[in-house]
Amino acid sequence: MIQILIDSLIRAAELALLGVGLTMVYDVLRFPSFAHVEFGTVGAFIALTISLALPFGPGSSLVIAGIVAMVAVGFLGVATDRAVFSRLRGNSPILLLIASFGVGIVLRFGAQAIWGANAQSYPLPLMRPWLIGDGRLTPSAAAIIVVALVTMLLFHFVLNRTTLGIAMRATADNKDLAEASGIFTERVIRLVWFVGAALAALGGVMLGVATQLHTNMGFEIMLPVFAAVILGGIGNPYGAVLGALVVGFAENIGLAINWGSLASALGLATEDFLFIPVGYKAAIPFTLVIIMLLLRPTGLLGEKRA
Amino acid sequence: MSAFLVYLITMTGIYGIMSLSLSLQYGQTGLVNLGQVGFFMVGAYVSAIGSTILGWPIALAFVAGVLGGALFGVLMALPIGNLRQDYWAIVTIAAAELVRVIFLNTNLGSPYVGASYGITGIPSPLQGVLGGPYYGYYYLALVAACLLGCYLVVQWVSRSPFGRVLKAIRESDEVAQALGKNVRAARIWTMAIGGAIAGLGGALFSHFLGFIDPTYFMPLETFLVWAMVILGGAGNHLGALAGAIIIQLLYNGTRFIGFGEEYASLGASLRMVLIGVLIILVILYLPRGILPERRRRYGVRDAAGR
Amino acid sequence: MLLAVEDISMQFGGLRALDKVSFGMKSGQIFGLIGPNGSGKTTLANIISGFLKPSSGRVLFEGQEMQGKPPHVIAEAGLCRTFQITLNPRRMTVMENMLLGAARQTGENIVSAMLQSRQVAREEERNLERARDLLEMVGLQRHADELAGSLSGGQKKLLALVQVLMAEPKLILLDEPVAGVNPRLIEDIVAVILQLRRAGHNFFIIEHNMQVVRRLCDEICVLDMGNVLAQGAPDEVLAREDVLQAYIASGGVAGEGVQA
Repeated sequence: MIQILIDSLIRAAELALLGVGLTMVYDVLRFPSFAHVEFGTVGAFIALTISLALPFGPGSSLVIAGIVAMVAVGFLGVATDRAVFSRLRGNSPILLLIASFGVGIVLRFGAQAIWGANAQSYPLPLMRPWLIGDGRLTPSAAAIIVVALVTMLLFHFVLNRTTLGIAMRATADNKDLAEASGIFTERVIRLVWFVGAALAALGGVMLGVATQLHTNMGFEIMLPVFAAVILGGIGNPYGAVLGALVVGFAENIGLAINWGSLASALGLATEDFLFIPVGYKAAIPFTLVIIMLLLRPTGLLGEKRA
Repeated sequence: MSAFLVYLITMTGIYGIMSLSLSLQYGQTGLVNLGQVGFFMVGAYVSAIGSTILGWPIALAFVAGVLGGALFGVLMALPIGNLRQDYWAIVTIAAAELVRVIFLNTNLGSPYVGASYGITGIPSPLQGVLGGPYYGYYYLALVAACLLGCYLVVQWVSRSPFGRVLKAIRESDEVAQALGKNVRAARIWTMAIGGAIAGLGGALFSHFLGFIDPTYFMPLETFLVWAMVILGGAGNHLGALAGAIIIQLLYNGTRFIGFGEEYASLGASLRMVLIGVLIILVILYLPRGILPERRRRYGVRDAAGR
Repeated sequence: MLLAVEDISMQFGGLRALDKVSFGMKSGQIFGLIGPNGSGKTTLANIISGFLKPSSGRVLFEGQEMQGKPPHVIAEAGLCRTFQITLNPRRMTVMENMLLGAARQTGENIVSAMLQSRQVAREEERNLERARDLLEMVGLQRHADELAGSLSGGQKKLLALVQVLMAEPKLILLDEPVAGVNPRLIEDIVAVILQLRRAGHNFFIIEHNMQVVRRLCDEICVLDMGNVLAQGAPDEVLAREDVLQAYIASGGVAGEGVQA
């Protein structure tokens, strides 16, 4: 049981870091960016290159490299906005969406051109996991959870104490009014791109720490991230965190549950043991999204629109 | 003509069919279907399974592939028929991935059929009669005939009063609804027709290659089809065909630019970066594509001599 | 009663936008719904036309319950609306917009379009004639083959108006038909509406411009903060002290309109 809890929290940490920026960009610019997760991929690889070049121990090298990667990718986010999205302000969100699809392809295959198509790993030493009940928690896994938790607390502070946060919350309260009062100056939009892309880079590094680095890593986590964001109500950062937890737990619990008794009770199967094969894990967030769209299209924390 | 050239033209024809399907869905109706490869895969697999494992005549397998694509379109559109296009984007891309995950993890019949092994020995139509050195030309003729048929269907649909409703939905579903049009039904029909066309493309593809596996149906294919429609000109079906030809030329033409063996992977990455950049440039500087949508003229009364 | 609104309430989260609103309009009228900004007019229009589901209450059109039905069903029943900001497809020509307006077209069902091509062709011919007549009436005939997006603001309003007429509705709901239109075109729009009324069309109009309301409406209903404040003939209602107060309380611009 504890192992499921640990695995779910790690997954939720990755999803939340990637999801928060996605939902912020949506909140400000009104389109879901299909390029967002690729900032995670690029960030993870930049951190790899830098950490390999640094002379410190593997742990501290990665910390420094991760911070540098966040800043670099933050600027990359602003740069993509300058180069592409800012030129499309006022166009239909569909056009922006498709442009983001193009930007995502450029980022992913640009990363593949630079770092190659093979999987790579951060040079972290093998560490003895701590045993908690029946669960095993490696120090790096613990670090992922702590980093995500601290980041979310910082983010909560930003939302409540800074101009960016006030502007964002103003739209959550009343979108039309906030737009009419011109609260989203270009400066705020740039900040949103910077923060969103930097958080995605951090998410990418965490993803790389948890498993491996691969140029498809961002794309592979894109649908679960979208699922988390939609579940929480697209445009709502707190919702994205909640959605990340729901998806993280649903994926791990869904695979761990023995569906046999339920299936036989419904007359669908006769086996006593029936588990969802790991290969179908990707179907879980998608199923959640469909159920959510059918029941409550505005998401868990979303508000009804007039 | 070299065999490669015949292969290339045949593939371009199949992509042309895919591009016509998306031209109807996006160009005419504004539906953001990012799961186009899912229809392609359903058509290819249904037809392949029908003609190999189930032993159906090839013609019946083709029909099943077309119907399978249409049914998939309806199933995809049902839960999201009334929702905004940003939800469409996410649900369709997820549905296509779901199809791939299912075919990637499901054995069909015996242990080495289906799943990652794919399906081998998919028969070619009329092999017994037309088989021989010129079979490639005959298959090319079949693809060309299908392409022409699809073009006529899409063109006829677009010029019908139904097509006019679709065109209205593209910009504003509110106006269409306020004028008494059932927007949800029209969208579902569009997905069915578009799905049937893409299903046909899939069936042609699998019987052309004789072998399919899930790696042929990566989300990247969807992006290529989008690139064709955007470049060609959304709303102009002839443009979609022109886009198919240009993207195919670009995609395959860049194969011959000398990277050498050891840089093959780099070349593949840069090729995608190139197409991504091209799409962004088209959206920014040529938003109506190389063949912009044409106005349908009815003429004013005195000019028409009434 | 052609249209009756009975005890309609609308709740958004904790906010009550409409509170048991009731009124009715008779056939053969131009009925006006007015009220200061935020009084709930647009919400009510969206409920009547099916774009919003009321929290409670009934909307009766020709005695039939309409609340909560989808917009296209209400439109098919003969209650058609225009929008405050004209949303007409900009990338369709004026004529295409007009032909789109015609109701119950055989060719709009893809199956019957296939099976009954002659019927479809006949309908297209008839609708084309009718569209040309209507465009001539409002002076847009020369623009028939231009994209709707290239029209001026006032021309777009006129297009939206005649497009709705293509559907031959029993009641036309106009959401701010002259908002943002220059004074000369306001005259044109008012003249067209009066002409159509003489031809037997019924209108339900939401409008801010009090002069236009006075000239057009046979009866008006005033909404204030989600409640019906008054109903009756325009001159009587607009002379009432509480109506004036409501406008003044909501801020200057609309208040000036009352005195105008």
